Amino acid sequence: MRKLYVILSSVLLILSGCNMRVLDPKSQTAKGQSFLIQFSFALMMIVFTTVIVLFIWFVWKYRQTEENKHRIPEDEKGNRFFEITWTVLPIILLAVLAVPTIKITYEISASSSATPPNAVHIDVTAQQFSWTFEYQNGVVQTSELVIPKDRPVVFHLNSDDVIHSFWVPKLGGKMDVIPGKERRLIVTPDEIGTYQGKCAEFCGKEHSLMRFETIVKTQEDYKQWIQKMKRKTE
Amino acid sequence: MTFYLFDRSFYIASDVLLAYITVILSGAAIFYLITKADKWPTIKKYVTTTHHRKIGVLYLLSATLFFIRAGIEALIIRVQLAVPENDWWVFQGDKFNEAFTTHGTIMIFFVAMPLLIGLMNVAVPLQIGARDMAFPYMNAVSFWLFLAGAILVNMSFFMTASPNAGWTAYAPLSISTYTPEAGNDYYVFGLQVSGIGTILAAINMIVTIVRHRAPGMKLTRMPLFPWSTLITSFLILIAFPVLTIALYILMFDRMFGTQFFTGEAGSPIYWQHLFWIFGHPEVYIIILPAFGIFSDIISTFSKKRVFGYTSMVIAITIIGLLGFMVWVHHMFTVGLGPLVNTVFAITTMLIAVPTGIKIFNWLFTMRKGLIQLTTPMLFSLGFIPTFVVGGVTGVMLSVAAADMQYHDSYFVVAHFHYTMIGGTVLGAFAGIYYWFPKMFGIKLKETLGKWHFWLFVIGFHITFFPMHLAGLNGMPRRVYTYLPKDDVFIYNFVSTIGAFLMGLGTLAFIWNIYQSFKNPDYTGNDPWDGRTLEWAVPSPAPEHPFQPMPLVKTIDPLWEAKRNRGGKLPEAESARSAPIDVTSWQPIGLAGMMMVFSLAFIYHQTWLQIIAGIGVLSFFVIRNLTDEHVRVAREEENE
Repeated sequence: MRKLYVILSSVLLILSGCNMRVLDPKSQTAKGQSFLIQFSFALMMIVFTTVIVLFIWFVWKYRQTEENKHRIPEDEKGNRFFEITWTVLPIILLAVLAVPTIKITYEISASSSATPPNAVHIDVTAQQFSWTFEYQNGVVQTSELVIPKDRPVVFHLNSDDVIHSFWVPKLGGKMDVIPGKERRLIVTPDEIGTYQGKCAEFCGKEHSLMRFETIVKTQEDYKQWIQKMKRKTE
Repeated sequence: MTFYLFDRSFYIASDVLLAYITVILSGAAIFYLITKADKWPTIKKYVTTTHHRKIGVLYLLSATLFFIRAGIEALIIRVQLAVPENDWWVFQGDKFNEAFTTHGTIMIFFVAMPLLIGLMNVAVPLQIGARDMAFPYMNAVSFWLFLAGAILVNMSFFMTASPNAGWTAYAPLSISTYTPEAGNDYYVFGLQVSGIGTILAAINMIVTIVRHRAPGMKLTRMPLFPWSTLITSFLILIAFPVLTIALYILMFDRMFGTQFFTGEAGSPIYWQHLFWIFGHPEVYIIILPAFGIFSDIISTFSKKRVFGYTSMVIAITIIGLLGFMVWVHHMFTVGLGPLVNTVFAITTMLIAVPTGIKIFNWLFTMRKGLIQLTTPMLFSLGFIPTFVVGGVTGVMLSVAAADMQYHDSYFVVAHFHYTMIGGTVLGAFAGIYYWFPKMFGIKLKETLGKWHFWLFVIGFHITFFPMHLAGLNGMPRRVYTYLPKDDVFIYNFVSTIGAFLMGLGTLAFIWNIYQSFKNPDYTGNDPWDGRTLEWAVPSPAPEHPFQPMPLVKTIDPLWEAKRNRGGKLPEAESARSAPIDVTSWQPIGLAGMMMVFSLAFIYHQTWLQIIAGIGVLSFFVIRNLTDEHVRVAREEENE
């Protein structure tokens, strides 16, 4: 019965396609990225449709049949007007795509280089094959990341061995974790919930199992949780 | 499994054992069949040959073998990923990592490259009116070095030490600290040895195209396949030395204790830069020749010259140039800063323009033409929509901020399979069906060819389209399992079904080759009503084609001759002297010696390194002291 449910729900998922994790953003960063994905997809559908329509039309109309098989097509070298058209139009299309690309890429980087006030700082250590999260008050968690809603969270990413990559699809793009160099990532979650986190850079034998849970709590719950954990460690 | 022999226990993994049994049995069967059919003289001819057509056939044959091997690995990957939390056979953890590493390495270096280089060897000299490649002996050396490298990488599995750091071999994972086994040494030396062969092949192609064209065959009258070959060869010449350097310093890090990629002064990012400065041109190296093949085939079967010839050539050149300016788009998540990321995002987007020009030119070649749906044409038609999907996802991936979501997810896997299979593999199949008559004087069966095409292409889309969605749903690359709650089961299950359809298509191809040799359909010089010079010489192409030497006055010279001259090409007064073909055991000997040399390094045997090193050098000395021109001149004097 449960299997049937899994199959049914996945068929529905294919049909809907909307609650894909990447397209269901829960932070400002991820919203910008999701917008870019959908915007570029829409632009590209124009190109794709044009090509497919021409393709089907030409292949159907000019195929060899019994009647025309002795015809020798007219010699045609090219056509300046057409060639200029399909050089200029894509350039315009790409210019339209380039503007938000540059804008949002800069925004995401800028927000990661500044340190906002009232931010939560978390030291993230990646090692084969687990994640360790250390809070400013000394609380250490493994494979479970708890963060408050509506407060910027600064991740200080460090690796103990090889390159890993920190990825919570619903909270935004990934950031490589490189040994010997600290990388920073800032996200501000704007919805409570539990989200999957993964290592995205192949890092060895059990790379597939290097996952963590991200739990976004309200600020009140987060305060209580961090105090409770603090008492535990003491 | 463990078994006992002479009171000692031996352990061997069951997949390796099965592979040994399969290889030994099929090897024995092939040995028996060759002996029974008395084909050893033919084998000897092929092993010692320096003729471009035979070397092309050898390339294609070995590429097909490796295609089967890496294809089986793909099926293994798909079976393990068919359902969540699968525990199939031995393919979890390291075994799975080895499977996708060698699948990638072999498919790129030992399938895509030799398929295209093989077709270049078969077709390019004939298309430009050359009598052979410029350096026939070096051509044989290229092939055998390629094969030596390929055998090294394939051997690693049987020595239970497959490479396991991904085909990109990112440091520090590929450093001996984290992967101490011999696997990645096999990767380093296999690619290094075959890389030398590839560089030599590129030099050979450039000289052949620049120096050995028929009289009147200006560059502006050259068909597009030689054009793409010329540009590709320059890309190889510039990109492959970068790989050589990268592998070299990786070798030093692994074996001799240097710290290029670790420690205070070193950085793992250096490897990524070096690898992708090679790696991005590499993906254009394996797509541009396919573009050339499609141009020639679409033109032939539309019975029209290629539309916008000049813009086609310019587009290939621009793609080649831009190919060197986009490597950072593989590294958007490394954290190089917004300026670098946006610059490389823009250059990457720009590549879409020349590619788009080519797509529209192909479409307009067909417009007002007369389209014959032969098997090569079917593959070319299948390529257009497939490659456009790969192209548009490529533009989507170039958006730097969005790429942080796609990067290292199944979306990327889908994208590059759409371009590499939809471009390179379909192009290679199209080229094989198209030039098969030129290689063997027989046609492949059309009906089986159509089965091959439809099974392969439908299977392909079923396999790779869902991967876009799995990636958007957060499935990372290179994982051997996933959970039910990840909601990617259905995509993976559908993918697995498609992969087996592609496998059936490939079987149809192999069956087609067998059937075509069993009941041959002999063809004349010109089975397709061709347009270019290769269809003016007998099939299979003889050792000395173009007697008398044609004089080229126009683009598509054979077509023009058929229209206006009753099929006779105008003759040239004089021709360039043909390169001298020799038969020699030296190329295969040199490659064998290189293999021993590499193995001595992989297993740290200093005495063997010295002996094999002297052996390799002595081949160079011998070659320097022989000159077939002297021999030929003497023979001519004595006549």
